[in-house]
Amino acid sequence: MLGIIANPSSGKDIRRLVAQGTVFDNMEKVNIIQRILSVLNYAGVKEICYMQDSYQIVDRAVTYLERNFKINLRIKELEIKYRYEQNDSLLAASSLLQMGASCIVTLGGDGTNRVVAKGCGDTPLIPLSTGTNNVFPVMLEGSVAGFAAAVADIDKKHEYLKLKQKKRLNIYKNGVLVDIALIDAVITEERFIGSRALWEPETIKEIFVTVAKPDSIGMSAIAGSIYPISEDEQKGLYVWLGNNGNVETNAAIAPGLIQNIKIEGYSEIGLEQKVNIKTKTGIVALDGEREITFGKNDKVVIGLSNDGPKVVDVGGTLVAAAKEGYFKGRWR
Amino acid sequence: MKLTNKDLIKLYGDMWLVRLFEARVQDLFASGVLPGFIHLGLGQEACMVGTCFNLEDGDIIGATHREHGVLLMRGVSANAIMAELYGKVTGTCKGKGGSMHTCGLKEGALGNNAILGPGQAIINGFAYAHKFRNNKKVAVTMFGDGASNRGEFHEGLNFASVWNLPTIYIINNNGYAISVPVSKQQKIQDLSARAAGYGIPGVSIDGNDVLTVLETTAEAVKRAREGGGPSLIEFKTYRWRGHFEGDPTPYRTNSELEDWMENRDPIKNFGKDLLEREVLTEKEMKEIIAEQQAIVDAAQKFAEESEWPPESEIYTDVYYNDEGGAQ
Repeated sequence: MLGIIANPSSGKDIRRLVAQGTVFDNMEKVNIIQRILSVLNYAGVKEICYMQDSYQIVDRAVTYLERNFKINLRIKELEIKYRYEQNDSLLAASSLLQMGASCIVTLGGDGTNRVVAKGCGDTPLIPLSTGTNNVFPVMLEGSVAGFAAAVADIDKKHEYLKLKQKKRLNIYKNGVLVDIALIDAVITEERFIGSRALWEPETIKEIFVTVAKPDSIGMSAIAGSIYPISEDEQKGLYVWLGNNGNVETNAAIAPGLIQNIKIEGYSEIGLEQKVNIKTKTGIVALDGEREITFGKNDKVVIGLSNDGPKVVDVGGTLVAAAKEGYFKGRWR
Repeated sequence: MKLTNKDLIKLYGDMWLVRLFEARVQDLFASGVLPGFIHLGLGQEACMVGTCFNLEDGDIIGATHREHGVLLMRGVSANAIMAELYGKVTGTCKGKGGSMHTCGLKEGALGNNAILGPGQAIINGFAYAHKFRNNKKVAVTMFGDGASNRGEFHEGLNFASVWNLPTIYIINNNGYAISVPVSKQQKIQDLSARAAGYGIPGVSIDGNDVLTVLETTAEAVKRAREGGGPSLIEFKTYRWRGHFEGDPTPYRTNSELEDWMENRDPIKNFGKDLLEREVLTEKEMKEIIAEQQAIVDAAQKFAEESEWPPESEIYTDVYYNDEGGAQ
């Protein structure tokens, strides 16, 4: 059984105004799902379960395929308590884990995948980018994602399926693990969660990243512009900002929004290492969204671990499958 | 965005003023005191308060019959608005407009336009005047999800886009156009997606979070003032009352309404944040509410004690006089 979680809210926040992001329209998400389902149907994947959403992305895709391509799919809506908000993705991922899903295809940005990662356990993800700052998910044509999902579902022995274990950041507040981040945890002096996004560098005080990528945008790009760290390296980076240092760097912190950033210092973080934050009051933003408030009486600690979600290496998987003749002959 | 405690307290008090004013209007209409037709903005306080916080003297905002609160936030006195709703001569329009047509041009409130759609074209006249005068002022139009399906909305957006006008289009998407749910009005979920068709930025946000509203409109206003052109913002919100007072709302469920009132009340949620961040104490909150209640009480008293317009006023303010205004 294969799962689908598509976030109807990704790609629409204030960064359309303060930067040069564009709206990722939900009809485009429907179209991506159509292409994935077309391949799954062709490959004979029998069972698909999906998270319902306020725009009914998957339902619309199924209706379109039935009406225009005479493709009839056996597809089932997950039975969870829907509130049509962020937590639905967590419940859906947990449900798919319990049901033994072969993999979960996600549509969203870093924020969407962070929530899914909290519930999916070892279930492999195929994260497709439909967000704003996308470091974790990948831009991938829907049909290609469909082929990778088909291999994940049919290749039960994992002969071809190539997986990558991702790192994650663990956020502890007063000794309790309260949340995680897949790419970045940022300490900001903002007082309220408000519009969630980060785009004013003067409010950013500390940055923790699992990957520091100069070929990305957002907080990972800031870290990557001074000290690149790849997905495969078993370490992360901690950067603290301020006017007292002698390092200045330039990075795109949102689409088309390039800022000069003043850095006081940076250091590697090893696996299982924990760092006490320096800032006394503010908000911890996770994967681009302001999430956790803390005050002067709170102790916030951030650590790195290598037990993030497993992600399907789409290219590696399809090459391995091709070499074994998986795509040859008549499929139907 | 940096806000002082004074700013935060003002936002809290302002939202209570809008709510208490609307609640009083609801009661007065139900008692048969107020004439005409009443549409209330209860539940949508954050949209009005957060937006108007960013406006300054010389800016203009036009809204619909549901936004008495916009007039309050632009500085039109509660006394004059309430008197207008009563139909008294001390009202904003000398008692001739009622709830559907209150306004405060002097304060930069174009007023409540009950004809939905045209407001989105008319606003560009004000925006063009601002641009022509190069005065760094903005023009805002606030309307509902249903109006965004009207031709004038699209004409207005196109015009503002082509002329790069300082117009900010704000959709208060409260879930229903009279009785028609959003899902049956258009095939898109986020109305901000329409901005792409006109080459301008579009954003969809939580309209029940006053700080999100404030931050987002601040950016759109800044952009417009600096010559960046128009923006389209969609506030996802919900009206607690029917389309009009007396609407039995058979088109929605009680549980839906209860969910919004219980979990997404903009004032309750903001108040909780203010308590947690030690901006206000519960005692101070009660004092603020009492202050706003006193304003509403005074407005009702003022309206009750005001005179009805004399018969001689019937034919004034009807036609425009070339020599100097309405006659």
